[in-house]
Amino acid sequence: MPENRNGATSPAPRGAAKALSAEAVSGQGPDVRAERDHLAISRLADDLLPALIAKLTAGGLGEIEVREGSWKARLRRPAGSDEGRGVAAWSSLDSHSGHGHALGRGPAASHGRGTAEERARRAREEEEAEELARLPIVATSPAVGIYQPRKDLAVGIRVRAGDRIGTVDVLGVREDVIAPADGVIGSSLAEAGEAVEYGQELIRIELSENARGLDANGADREAAAVLGEA
Amino acid sequence: MFSKVLIANRGEIALRILRACRTIGIGAVVAYSEADRDSLAAQLADEAICIGPSDARRSYLSAPAVISAAVVTGCDAIHPGYGFLSEDEGFADVVRAHGLTFIGPSAEVLEHFASKEATRRLLEAHGLRTIPGSGMLRDEAHALEEAERISYPVLIKPSGGGGGKGMRLVRTARELEATFKVSRSEAKAAFGDDALYMEKYLGDNRHVEIQVAVDRFGHAIHLGERDCSVQRRHQKIIEETPSPALTEAERQDLCQRAVRAVVEAGYENLGTLEFLVDSRGEAYFIEINCRIQVEHPITEMCTGIDLIALQIKIAAGEPLGINQADVVSRGHAIEFRILAEDPSNDFRPQGGQVLGYLAPGGPGVRMDSHLYPGYEVPPYYDSLLGKLSVWAPDRAQAIARGDAALRELLVDGLTTNIELHRAILANQVFIDGKVTTDLLDRVGSAPFVAAGNR
Repeated sequence: MPENRNGATSPAPRGAAKALSAEAVSGQGPDVRAERDHLAISRLADDLLPALIAKLTAGGLGEIEVREGSWKARLRRPAGSDEGRGVAAWSSLDSHSGHGHALGRGPAASHGRGTAEERARRAREEEEAEELARLPIVATSPAVGIYQPRKDLAVGIRVRAGDRIGTVDVLGVREDVIAPADGVIGSSLAEAGEAVEYGQELIRIELSENARGLDANGADREAAAVLGEA
Repeated sequence: MFSKVLIANRGEIALRILRACRTIGIGAVVAYSEADRDSLAAQLADEAICIGPSDARRSYLSAPAVISAAVVTGCDAIHPGYGFLSEDEGFADVVRAHGLTFIGPSAEVLEHFASKEATRRLLEAHGLRTIPGSGMLRDEAHALEEAERISYPVLIKPSGGGGGKGMRLVRTARELEATFKVSRSEAKAAFGDDALYMEKYLGDNRHVEIQVAVDRFGHAIHLGERDCSVQRRHQKIIEETPSPALTEAERQDLCQRAVRAVVEAGYENLGTLEFLVDSRGEAYFIEINCRIQVEHPITEMCTGIDLIALQIKIAAGEPLGINQADVVSRGHAIEFRILAEDPSNDFRPQGGQVLGYLAPGGPGVRMDSHLYPGYEVPPYYDSLLGKLSVWAPDRAQAIARGDAALRELLVDGLTTNIELHRAILANQVFIDGKVTTDLLDRVGSAPFVAAGNR
């Protein structure tokens, strides 16, 4: 398992998110929804945010996004900033939220309340994690500008979460395109020199069976990289 | 003329600018934040580009993001709308440095009029009466001294503020002592500038503003006035033109003096001069807004002039093409700001999904709104859902059309102030044209809400 989605953290339950938003749309008044949103925000702020900041500071990640209920939280380390000075954004999920939000699907904070319900939720989350691990991860554009992939980038190269895999030129200032997870460079979704918008999908990062197998067996990551390049 | 304009705003004004661009036959690109991906402007635009996350500081308020979007999409001008970067001289300067045109006054003009206090002195020198007030307040002792000289009650105002934010009414020296430091730190937090000044508070006053347009060649016209006296905590709710507070002679005099003063003071582009009119009909200049205003549609309805098209034309360096005699204001128009807030719950802003939406119609009815059924109102920005404007040959008919249109307007799924508008229209003080800016705050909204629920 890549380190940004290991046992210490687990993704928010997507199934629960669906159920919750469906419920919110059907029949509930705005007051109920507003109250729920307020509760969600305060809980996310109290529990989740500190955990996410810690995660962002500790790992080499450029950005983390977590969804919970009908809300998502995104933390991004500003380009070239010191450690830990992340910027958080909250948003309510919308019907198109799949677009451009594929970053850092994995980590969510686990809240330390050991109720049965909590244990059941964790079990669900672990299942979700398994499912998510099989999906391709996509590196997205940090800004609106002109995209250039890293010169030596090619399909099959192994990258680690937090690696710079390209840049987006914003009026002469380069902002880094960061690999959101450990994996292998997959297909390109944008051309070098192309104008890209914020959040645009640029490069697939694949978690190939091969790479994961090696990781599981404790094989050397360098060896995996060599295999990937071959 | 420009070939393509980047619209660096959201909501109803992004849509309004898109419509103006289409009308005059120029391309437009809608710049939107991640939270506005489903916005109507982004959907209707031929081209739209995501410039950043929902946090406005990294999207609509980010000069690099906005300018980069204009550059990569091949735009030659940026329309900032209102709010956000619309009166930011630094932004206007950087836009120009990238070979693009800022649709609004030049950076120099914005800078010239950036300080409210300096602008008051400037326009006073050009013949506009201003409210007795202080210079920048050095400290609490200075504030107390100035308040004595001007006489209580006084308003403490942040120099860098706008839209009534951060203003405080102070009635006694003791109140001033209690609030001075707080006002200063609030100003610092809200506007990044803790400079404060003080003004005499006029009791029963009306808010009247004059719309002007000045081209690069110094040709200038006024487009009449708007009365924005129906306010809640200094936020405008209903606007109308002409103002019931002025006689025809007073109106002509004020409009002419306003336009003469701004031209002499070096203003350029579209602008609005705001005045407070006291119970004797005396108008005091308070500030100039160097941008298109939310309430511009009522002026358009009475004059038939597309103000945003005119603004784009001026920014492109073209002459106005009309003179004062061509501006004929007909009839009476009223605008209602439809807000997602709950009048019976201290006007708390409401987010959520629009389950149903139906805009009213009929003669003289105009709806500027970005709503559609299924639209999710994002919680990050202001609560303006749209503006309903009505026109009729006279004020009584405009009120009747306003009420009929408000009854038709349907916004299902959100709590709005539609019923509050109807209650205000039915109120005798409004019918008599005697609303003062403090009325809603003084009597509270409860009687209006209660009347509306009958």
